Amino acid sequence: MTALSQETVSATRTAAGIPFILKKAFLSALVALVLFSLMIGIRTEAGPDGQLTYWTRFGELASIVGIVFGGSILIELARQWIGPIGAEKLVPPAVHRGMSILGNYLAPALLIFTLLVPVIFYNQRYILDLAILVLTYVMLGWGLNVVVGLAGLLDLGYVAFYAVGAYSYALLATNFGWSFWICLPLAGILAAMWGVMLGFPVLRLRGDYLAIVTLAFGEIIRLVIINWQSLTGGPNGVTGIPRPTLFGIPLDNSDDGLAAKLGIEYSPTHRIVFLFYLILALALLTNWVTIRLRRLPIGRAWEALREDEVACRALGINTTTTKLTAFATGALFGGFAGAFFATRQGFISPESFTFQESALVLAIVVLGGMGSQLGVALAALAMIGGFELFRGLEIYRMLVFGWAMVLIMIWRPRGLIGHRAPTVYLKKAQAISSDLVKEGHG
Amino acid sequence: MTAASPLLAIRGLRAAYGKIEALKGVDVEINSGEIVALIGANGAGKSTLMMTIFGKPRARAGQILYEGKDITAVPTHEIAHLRIAQSPEGRRIFPRMSVAENLQMGADVTDSTPAERESTLERVFALFPRLKERFAQRGGTLSGGEQQMLAIGRALMSRPRLLMLDEPSLGLAPLIARQIFDAIRTLNRQDGLTVLIVEQNANHALKLAHRGYVMVNGLITLAGSGAELLQRPEIRAAYLEGGRHA
Repeated sequence: MTALSQETVSATRTAAGIPFILKKAFLSALVALVLFSLMIGIRTEAGPDGQLTYWTRFGELASIVGIVFGGSILIELARQWIGPIGAEKLVPPAVHRGMSILGNYLAPALLIFTLLVPVIFYNQRYILDLAILVLTYVMLGWGLNVVVGLAGLLDLGYVAFYAVGAYSYALLATNFGWSFWICLPLAGILAAMWGVMLGFPVLRLRGDYLAIVTLAFGEIIRLVIINWQSLTGGPNGVTGIPRPTLFGIPLDNSDDGLAAKLGIEYSPTHRIVFLFYLILALALLTNWVTIRLRRLPIGRAWEALREDEVACRALGINTTTTKLTAFATGALFGGFAGAFFATRQGFISPESFTFQESALVLAIVVLGGMGSQLGVALAALAMIGGFELFRGLEIYRMLVFGWAMVLIMIWRPRGLIGHRAPTVYLKKAQAISSDLVKEGHG
Repeated sequence: MTAASPLLAIRGLRAAYGKIEALKGVDVEINSGEIVALIGANGAGKSTLMMTIFGKPRARAGQILYEGKDITAVPTHEIAHLRIAQSPEGRRIFPRMSVAENLQMGADVTDSTPAERESTLERVFALFPRLKERFAQRGGTLSGGEQQMLAIGRALMSRPRLLMLDEPSLGLAPLIARQIFDAIRTLNRQDGLTVLIVEQNANHALKLAHRGYVMVNGLITLAGSGAELLQRPEIRAAYLEGGRHA
């Protein structure tokens, strides 16, 4: 696409401009005509007796085609005016520099703000709930980032581990009455085991083929949950999942509750705030572990595996165990997030674990910049927060997000934060200038 | 040179990709402290021989003996632990990782102490000062010659006894290629490193090597000292004077 547009720009420079623009606009209009002739040109509706009635709307069709024709001319003119370099030139270097300085303080500032969210918005239940939701996706994004961003294994079925974690907690807690704090690690371990089980058959696959198998895996888990009625309750889901306790102290208005013990007045917000800090702690744990792992040989091996599998083997890396640990680590955090989801909702059903969830988390990782922890957090905030922001404009929000995604992929093809921080330094840390160097390839 | 116990001995090695047999019974010996060059035309099986030593593809028949031990069936990732290092064809550095991380990847396999690691790193920098200058830069932003230096440096970080280089001069300007060959000579003379070098550039490789093997269609057709092979008329015709292949 970019190659094409650059070709057209250089073509217009050499050839006569106006005939080229007109030809291009005409072609766009033709495509629009074919595309919209049935969608807009003919309107069908069920008549009063149930029969099909239809009428033509050639006026609307003509105006749409006209808009496409005019718009195509305008875009082409704008493109010639801006030049082949595109949007990069529009942002002055001073802004770039300012943003990179800002970038250094962004992560700590965000963290402090996040810690203060329950204090600032104590009386706004809606914002607290939204913040918990965003943090859940931040955690899922960070978990999937290990698999996709670091190890470069495209996983379209991440929701499967989320589901395994959620059902593990739900079933263990409702059947055996085990507490959240015992079930949480168990949920993670079970999900990690499923990660290894998925990992084994797909060891030889990469790229597209891997994506298809993981997609199928996500669907299989969901279908098993729906159909294994005796264990999972099928489409009815699991109800009455116990709320988490603060190390055995429930957060309710009973005599044993936290409020009573502290001698303060009970408020349902206490539980929300507790859930908020719980998911924040889990997300930060994910982040901390990922950052630590990146500096260890195993983390480096993941990244090297993403870059070049043959070279990895020549360097004595066991690609089998490296891939399996990546799957297992990603799945572990997915399982934790699932257990949290179950305890927060109190009710889970297979409907929560559709492919759309996998796609959303993957979109967060890709938009954030594969491998970038801060980028993933920002992308989760933008995606989930943005979804809520546009809730009033329900019909337009998918359109807006489609546009946003296309624009980000044009302007920042490596995601919001595409810069990758190195993990090895020469004695003292050096200023890294590699992000200023023009990208080669890879 | 004691032919009695070579560092690496390959006996009757056969390997194939599917039905296509790439090695049809190859015998090669590499003694400790030697530079051995393997030359031959495209598709002769040179790279396959190197990859088969690493177990990818696996040998169908024959033996690979390293320090007297049979390593024919040892898993690929464990061969690097035996202190055999490889700089694969086309360099294959990790483009998005920094030079430092690329070098660290080479050292991660070994259980060398931090002090050993430090001294190896110093050695690599002494050989290739350019790598020190580019330490924090992404591998993919290096020039071709620098990438080749990085690939060799990465292989050296595992403190190998046997270094295998696949076409180190591929796509490099003659001056840079000379620098690379000089570094290999230095490593051999000063550090006593044993080197197996696969090359298209027969002239350079045979001048550098103590001994050489010529490979044609999966078989060793000629063997001898580097100087001797350089004098052979059929070698000159096939590989040095741009003549027809033998």
